[in-house]
Amino acid sequence: MPETPFEPKIVAFLCRWCAGAGADLAGTSRIAYPANAVPIRVNCSGRVEPEWVMEAFRSGADGVFIGGCHPGDCHYVSGNYKTRRRIYLLKKLLAEMGIEPERVRLEWVSATEGAKYARVMKEFVAELKRLGPLHLEREEKTMPASPVLPRVGS
Amino acid sequence: MPPRPRIAVYWTGGCGGCDVSFLELGPALLDVLAQIEIAFWPALVDTKRSDVEALAPRSIAATLVNGTLRTEENVEMVHLLREKSELVVAFGACAYQGGVPGLANLATRDEILRRMSGNGFRPSPPPGGEAEDAPPGLLPQAKSLADEITVDYVVPGCPPMPPLIGLLLGALLSGDLPAPGHVFAHDKALCEECPRTREERKLTKVVRPHELVPDPNVCLLDQGMICLGPVTRGGCGAACPKAGMPCTGCVGPTPNAGDPGLAMISALGSLARAGEEGPGAFAAEDRLLDALVDPLGTFYKYSLPAYVRTGKRSDR
Repeated sequence: MPETPFEPKIVAFLCRWCAGAGADLAGTSRIAYPANAVPIRVNCSGRVEPEWVMEAFRSGADGVFIGGCHPGDCHYVSGNYKTRRRIYLLKKLLAEMGIEPERVRLEWVSATEGAKYARVMKEFVAELKRLGPLHLEREEKTMPASPVLPRVGS
Repeated sequence: MPPRPRIAVYWTGGCGGCDVSFLELGPALLDVLAQIEIAFWPALVDTKRSDVEALAPRSIAATLVNGTLRTEENVEMVHLLREKSELVVAFGACAYQGGVPGLANLATRDEILRRMSGNGFRPSPPPGGEAEDAPPGLLPQAKSLADEITVDYVVPGCPPMPPLIGLLLGALLSGDLPAPGHVFAHDKALCEECPRTREERKLTKVVRPHELVPDPNVCLLDQGMICLGPVTRGGCGAACPKAGMPCTGCVGPTPNAGDPGLAMISALGSLARAGEEGPGAFAAEDRLLDALVDPLGTFYKYSLPAYVRTGKRSDR
């Protein structure tokens, strides 16, 4: 048994209009919740590419959280619907890869739902503790340029 | 007139289709053969490994390797050929990104051996044979060529199409070589050269090729076929979509697409529609996407070892 208990690393993509404001509210309301997530604010959950989720896993995350607006509330009308379909497909793909789909969690969090953000983050941390760490190592290639494995932003 | 360049063609874990693909050059093949010297080509001429070992380092102008790396012998051979060659070319989808045999990485080596040969199987020499006659050991996972040695160029495709082979041969024979790492195919997506017209820009159903005789002029994605054209390099002339079959991505992803599976998920997530968007459509959208039964096998048919490091492993 390890000396220190496993603390999952989480990357949380939060839309600036709803989930990001909800997370801020959780903080300003002084609601206690686990500090495992590194939040990344995006304009819309629809901007979250599946590539980013995998990049987070490859960079050492044990779970990826995506927070968007409730159905009907998207600032850009339908970004959250696109996200929902993408994450649905991505989870199917992860299952085939042998990665637990539960490591990706999509939640609708409004700007008034600080308490909900704290609750789902607690639940997610507990779930990831149950699943254990995910070790997705990077492997370097010997290709001179890198047409084989282009990276995000390349 | 300099001496004719020495060329080697080698196969590792492949099907032989890449070797045969040279025949598609037609009469032009005769011109090519007149301009080169074949140093080593097991499918075509009787040369042995010892012949390669006897060569001076870098004395082969270019070695074209096809096939995935699956056995210890494959690895030994490509290291030997790398040492003896000025240039090494990953020829075909298997050498480039692992290819169809790379799908085996979803199972562990032990699972593969048990499934093929029963419990307790150990590779052994034939009865009465020497120990060195035993089949070479299976690698834990299938690998692409670049996983093992430095690769200078890539000719993608399953198998490579004549225009792409022509681009490589033209560069090799003229000596006008592109920068290392060049992939002999287009950087733009296959859709750019596909004659089908795209109108709907929505995916309202998912059908498999045997379930539909597609309209000859309309985009296959519009008709519900999961065509990888949007994320796949052009250069093949959209051969499959012209014949009514969706692109399965054998030429590999465009530089902009990056990971082809994740790019397709992004695209299909945008396109999929089951009526008016909203909570009322969620269940129907999920059913629509469930009709895509094997996303991993569909998106990474030729590239699993290059992108999916996470498949089932003995240590997980």
